Amino acid sequence: MNTPLLEIEDLCAEVCGKQIIKDFNLTINEGEVHAIMGPNGAGKSTLSYVLCGKPGYAVTSGSVRFKGKDLLAMSVEERAREGVFLIMQYPVEIPGVPTTTFLKHAVNAVRKHQGLPELDTMEFLKMVREEGRLLGIDNEMLKRPINVGFSGGEKKRMETLEMSILKPDFAILDEADSGLDIDALKVVAEGVNRLRDGKRSMLVITHYQRLLNYIVPDFVHVFADGHIVRSGNKDLALELEQNGYAEFVKEK
Amino acid sequence: MTNLVPNIAYDYAELAKVSGIELPTPKTEAWKYTRLRDLLDCPYTLCTPSSATGPELPLKADVIHISNGRLVSALPQVAGAEITVIDHVEEKTHHPFAQMNALYLTQGLQITIRRKLSRPLVLNYHMSPNGENGFYHWRNIINCEKDSSAAIIEQFTYEGEVKSCYLANLVNDINIQAGASLQHYKYQNEAFKANHVALHEITIAADGKYESFCLQKGANIARNETEISLNGEGAEAVVNAAYMMNGWATLDTTTNVYHYQPHTKSSQLVKGVVGGTAKGVFQGRIHIAPNAVCTSGTQLHKAMVLSDDAEIDVKPELEIFADDVKCSHGAASGEIDKEQLFYMRSRGIGEEEAKTLLIDAYVTDVINHITDSSVREWFKSLI
Repeated sequence: MNTPLLEIEDLCAEVCGKQIIKDFNLTINEGEVHAIMGPNGAGKSTLSYVLCGKPGYAVTSGSVRFKGKDLLAMSVEERAREGVFLIMQYPVEIPGVPTTTFLKHAVNAVRKHQGLPELDTMEFLKMVREEGRLLGIDNEMLKRPINVGFSGGEKKRMETLEMSILKPDFAILDEADSGLDIDALKVVAEGVNRLRDGKRSMLVITHYQRLLNYIVPDFVHVFADGHIVRSGNKDLALELEQNGYAEFVKEK
Repeated sequence: MTNLVPNIAYDYAELAKVSGIELPTPKTEAWKYTRLRDLLDCPYTLCTPSSATGPELPLKADVIHISNGRLVSALPQVAGAEITVIDHVEEKTHHPFAQMNALYLTQGLQITIRRKLSRPLVLNYHMSPNGENGFYHWRNIINCEKDSSAAIIEQFTYEGEVKSCYLANLVNDINIQAGASLQHYKYQNEAFKANHVALHEITIAADGKYESFCLQKGANIARNETEISLNGEGAEAVVNAAYMMNGWATLDTTTNVYHYQPHTKSSQLVKGVVGGTAKGVFQGRIHIAPNAVCTSGTQLHKAMVLSDDAEIDVKPELEIFADDVKCSHGAASGEIDKEQLFYMRSRGIGEEEAKTLLIDAYVTDVINHITDSSVREWFKSLI
C-alpha cells in the first residue's frame, strides 16, 4: 500500500509578482525518491522555497498536504519541525553563531515538537560528533561559526550533517551537487543514502544526471515552464543527458 | 565642594546657571543628538544615603560598593594599589557635566596603581531610589604608575522603583604613565527612566596601553563619553562598546581620540542593537596632530535596527594634520539578515529564538575583543 507523504495539487506560486510555478501536480509516497530535472530558470529552486515557506514566495492557488496536513498553513519553522528539510543550493554564512550552538537549538526545537526530551550538551555533542565523523566533519569545523569560510564542499557536507541529525521525513535536495568535486559528491550522496530507509522520502532537484548515479531515484520528472512536462523512471535522466531539454522548452 | 541642601528639588540647568556653568542645549553641536531636554526636564534632589549593594560579579575581584553615590563598604586592601576617599576635586576641562560633577561632588576615590594587580578591581555602583528623583556626582582619579597593570570594572545597577528618573553623573580622570596598562570595563544597566552621564578623560604616556569596553543596556538617556590623549610614542588605546535597547532610550557613545605623538595607535569598534523607539548615537572623532606621523587610528560603528521607529545617528569625524598616517572610519546599519533568519527557521528554530541568536552573535563579536577571559564570559552572560 502506498501512503502519500506529500501531495501537491494545482499549485501556482509567484515571486515579485511574476508567476513561476504553474499548475504543478506531484504526489510523493512514503519511501520514494523523486528527481526533478529541468533547464535553468524553470522554477526548480522556487518550488523548493515554496515548499519550505520562504518569505517572498507567494502561493496564489492550489494546495500542498504533508502527512495529510495543510503544509501551506504552517510557518517556516513548523514545516521544519513536522519533517520538511531543504538542502540549500547556497547555504548562508552566519558569523558569530557557532555551528554546535545552532545545531543544538535546531535539534531541540524539533525534539520538543515531537514530544521528546531535549538533549543536554553532552548527549548532543556525542551524537553530532558521531554523525560528523561519517561526513568528514571534525570538531574544529563544528566550533566555527555556521558555514563561515567553508568551501563549497564543506557547506554541502554541513547541510547533509544537519539533515542527518534532524532526521526529516521528507528532504529536498536543491542542486546538492553544485560546486562539488567527485569525492565530495560521493560523501554527500552516501550521507543521503544512509537516510533512505524505505519510509523517508526525497525530492532531488538537479540539472545533471551525474548526481542520480549516486542517489538513484524511483521516478524522474522533467520540469519546464513551471510544471512537470514528462515523467518516467531513472532511464529518463539518461535520455535527458543525451538530448538536453530543448524539446521541452519548445513545447510551451 | 559646594553644599547642597537635602530634600530640595533642584532644577539641574538652573543650578548650573547660578554656579556659572553653561550646560549644553539641544542646539549645542556635541549634544544635539542626546535628547538633553529629557535629562534636564526633571528636578533632582540630592540622593539620600542607602546601604543596598549591587549584585556580585561572577569573577574573583576586589570589590568596592558604592550606593546612591556614596561608599558603603570598607575599602579593600589591594596589594599593589592605594585607594583613598576624596570629597573634593578641581575640574580642569570645560566639559559642563564634569564641571558640575566637581563643583557638587558627592564622593569619589583616588586610586593609585603601583604595580601589576593580581585581580580586577570592581566598582559596584548601585542605586536604590527610595521614591525620589535623586542625583549624585561621583569621580575616580586613577593614576596608573609606570609599568603597572590593572583591570577596573564598573557596574551600574539599581533596585526598587524602576520609574525613578534619577541622574548619575560620573567622571573618571585616568592617567596612564609610561609602559603602564589599564583594562577598563563598564556595564551600565540603570533604571529605565534614569539618566546617566559619564565622562572618561584619559591621558596615556609612551608605551602605555588603555583597553576599554562598555556595554550599555539601561537608562533613558545615557551618554558614555571617552576622551583620550595619546601623549607618548607607542601609546595605544582600544575603545570598544556595545549597546542594546528595546524601549525608547537614547544611548550615546561619544569618543574623542587625540594622537599627539608619532607611532601612536587607536582603534574603536562600536556595535548597537536598537528596537522600539530607541535611539543610538555614535559620535567619534579621531584627531591627528601635525607631528604625529606613523600613527594609526581606526573606527567602526555598526548598528542593527529592529523596528521602523528606532533611530541611529552616526557622526564620524577625522581631523588629520599629519602625513604618513593610517586612518579609517566606517559606519553601517541594517536590519536582521533575512536570509540568515530564514536559514535558521528552516531548521526548526522559532523566529524569536533565531533573532535572539543572531543579535547575541552580533554583539558577541565586540565582546570577543576583550582580552580577559573571565570578563569576556561575564559580558556574554549579560546580553
